[in-house]
Amino acid sequence: MKRLTWFMLPLVLFLGLAVFLFQGLYSNPKERESTAVSNAFPAFSLPDLMDESVIYDNSVFDGQITLINVWGVWCTTCAIELPYLESLKNQGYRVVGLYYDQDLDPDFGTKTIDRVRTEVVSTLSKFGDPYAFNIFDVYRNTSLDLGVTGAPETFLVDQEGVIRVHHLGDLNERVWRNKFAPVLAEIEPQTKASTTELGVKQ
Amino acid sequence: MNITASFLIKLCFLLVVATATSTVFAQDSNSSDVADDVAEKVSEAQKMGENYLFEDPNDRKTFLKLTAELRCPMCQNQNIADSDAMIAHDMRRKVYQLMLQGSSEQQVIDYMKERYGDFVHYQPPVTPVTIWLWALPVLFAVVMMGVFLMRRKVTPEENIEAKLAAANKLLKDD
Repeated sequence: MKRLTWFMLPLVLFLGLAVFLFQGLYSNPKERESTAVSNAFPAFSLPDLMDESVIYDNSVFDGQITLINVWGVWCTTCAIELPYLESLKNQGYRVVGLYYDQDLDPDFGTKTIDRVRTEVVSTLSKFGDPYAFNIFDVYRNTSLDLGVTGAPETFLVDQEGVIRVHHLGDLNERVWRNKFAPVLAEIEPQTKASTTELGVKQ
Repeated sequence: MNITASFLIKLCFLLVVATATSTVFAQDSNSSDVADDVAEKVSEAQKMGENYLFEDPNDRKTFLKLTAELRCPMCQNQNIADSDAMIAHDMRRKVYQLMLQGSSEQQVIDYMKERYGDFVHYQPPVTPVTIWLWALPVLFAVVMMGVFLMRRKVTPEENIEAKLAAANKLLKDD
């Protein structure tokens, strides 16, 4: 009996290690818990990308469910997800861009705001324009507050201005079904009333 | 012969475990080496236009230590001093800004952890889950030591008695 235990022990240890390492093969190292979820959207006051005289703050979330999409023209994956985002817009969802540019920064060289705007317009006309408007995160401070690591990332913000979903990477049918739809089902009944209300007001 | 060989193998094993354990505990003393490495990298970055100037040389040291300890969330196996990802640039700038505003080292780390989670700091916090990182190697070393001591006592004595009995039996048969 004792011999059997001694014989089995390394085998059991080895199997344990093998299972542990095996599951590591299929785990996504980029996936980790977001610290932003269930926090209020960080306070901001930022200009519109197309018109710097328009300033947005957290009141943009009042009473509406909003998808905040972090993007930039320099980001290829962002361009690829534009058509899907546009289809969401056509389903009646409100998509707002949080735009940031790499080149408007002393670290990366300079690009004029006019050139950024021309590039944005041409990208959106080429791939589709899902955005109600674009907030320009000039120094990327809001992105940092949100825990953004790179574009594209999408946040679902509820009508109280609380972040409910934080998704890293592109948004597609599968991600929408698995990650966004369940949360939306949870918060949507309350919104339907408020969106119709707003629709009447407008 | 056999016993000596297995003894040596066990000894080697214990040594490996002991070294592994001590490296875990010695992380702090290594960070000054890391800071030296980083000093080189940062001076490179300065040539490329990133100038983070401090009046107090101690602040500069703290800045180098922080950028060496904070992990880039984009290129996950690099610290933010080492990485050229945009987020690493932004985080370095943020660390600098926070320090100029008078934040302490711990406050800067907490600021980043609030946004990017425990993941962003290379020193993991001790929690019920992570305590095993420290406990397991020690536990393993202790258990192996126990096993090793127990086995060494028992085997040789038994062998001698059995051999003696066998020899006596042979003598009697003759």
